[in-house]
Amino acid sequence: MDYLLQGFIQGFVLLFTGNAETYSAIWTTVGASTLSMIASLSIGIPLGFLLGHKKFPGKKIVRTIVDTLLSFPTVVIGLLVYALLTRHGPLGGTGLLFSIPGIAIGQTILGLPIIIAMTATAVEALDKRLPLTLITLGANPRQILWATVIEARYSLMLAAVAAYGRIVSEIGISMMVGGNIKWHTRTITTAIALETGKGEFAMGIALGMVLLTVALIVNIFASGLKKRAIQ
Amino acid sequence: MSTPLIALYNIRQRYSGRTVLAIDRLDIEPGSIVGLAGPNGSGKSTLLRLLAFLETPASGTLTFMGNPVPDKPNGVHKQVTLLVQEPYLLKRSVHANIAYGLKVRGESDITTKVNHALDTVGLPPDVFSHRQWFELSGGEAQRVALAARLVLKPKALLMDEPTASLDGQSATLIRQAALAARKEYGASLVVASHDMTWLNAVCDHIFHLEHGTITDKQ
Repeated sequence: MDYLLQGFIQGFVLLFTGNAETYSAIWTTVGASTLSMIASLSIGIPLGFLLGHKKFPGKKIVRTIVDTLLSFPTVVIGLLVYALLTRHGPLGGTGLLFSIPGIAIGQTILGLPIIIAMTATAVEALDKRLPLTLITLGANPRQILWATVIEARYSLMLAAVAAYGRIVSEIGISMMVGGNIKWHTRTITTAIALETGKGEFAMGIALGMVLLTVALIVNIFASGLKKRAIQ
Repeated sequence: MSTPLIALYNIRQRYSGRTVLAIDRLDIEPGSIVGLAGPNGSGKSTLLRLLAFLETPASGTLTFMGNPVPDKPNGVHKQVTLLVQEPYLLKRSVHANIAYGLKVRGESDITTKVNHALDTVGLPPDVFSHRQWFELSGGEAQRVALAARLVLKPKALLMDEPTASLDGQSATLIRQAALAARKEYGASLVVASHDMTWLNAVCDHIFHLEHGTITDKQ
């Protein structure tokens, strides 16, 4: 057990002395997850809104596909994105393989079903009296649409928090598409895997503590948002 | 004779092929108070939704100030508003709920108007203005919903059983505030209620409905 205790102590030292390699992995994770969250929310909220709000042929099939993609394995996403971005792939010319934007593309595919499904559910769960209320208060269709988004805001934030939790803790995409390149595409999760494999627990534990802190913050937010969403 | 504010001509409304409302002629005069009485399922709520231009009739003509109303009458919705028995409050503060209709109309001096509307429904603005939607009792929520409509100074205020689930004090305040709308700016009131004492006391006309038709007019 000594090595674990030792690992924790060294982990704290790495974090509080601003160890460059540790913080490089943290900033890479922040960069990739920020890009993927922006993309997931920008694409996912309008699509989720359409799925929850509109009636169209094949809606149930689309919903089933989206729900199935919620459990899309990260290594499969990694494989698909790798195949797309590799030199001989259809997007090989973009040079995005082994880059942070490349990881972000994969993480966007991971986050999108969560945002779409949770947004659609949130819109479907809105009170049926809402549109009638907005009409009787004189709102036009554009104002009704915007007010509906605002009414669903706590559920949308909950969707964002859930997607962020999944994105920040994934490893398959970061490893396969990012390549785990030191100082460049090494994220928290790929660094933990590598360092543990080398028997170097300190950095793994330091980065693990960062991930646990993120998970704690995400859960605190999620708990507060869930309460507001059902009020 | 003045042009009716809202008029129905040979209106038929059908749900799933079944006729739920059949009214040959009904006029709502400007500044009048009209009561709708009748048992549950008699068509009062359907009639109110038609008068509020929330539904398009299966056949017949609806006019507003003498003009036929188009299918998507946003302009009319700015002048006719409906308060239901259990209104929905937006997930915002009381002030934001009442201000919403003013904002979509691009009006100014919103806080003064909101405070006046709160006073009219007997809710002190300094106590209630910043409360959130979930911090209100049923009676307070109903009064906030009424204030959100009164503040718009509609030409017609339609109310569907507005006091049915309220305590005596809240019901009295709702009734007083509704009457103030006619007194202050000449709004027409159309009230569906089982409370015949109230309807007899305040209405210029009371229409009795049964099975979707008007059976009597007082």
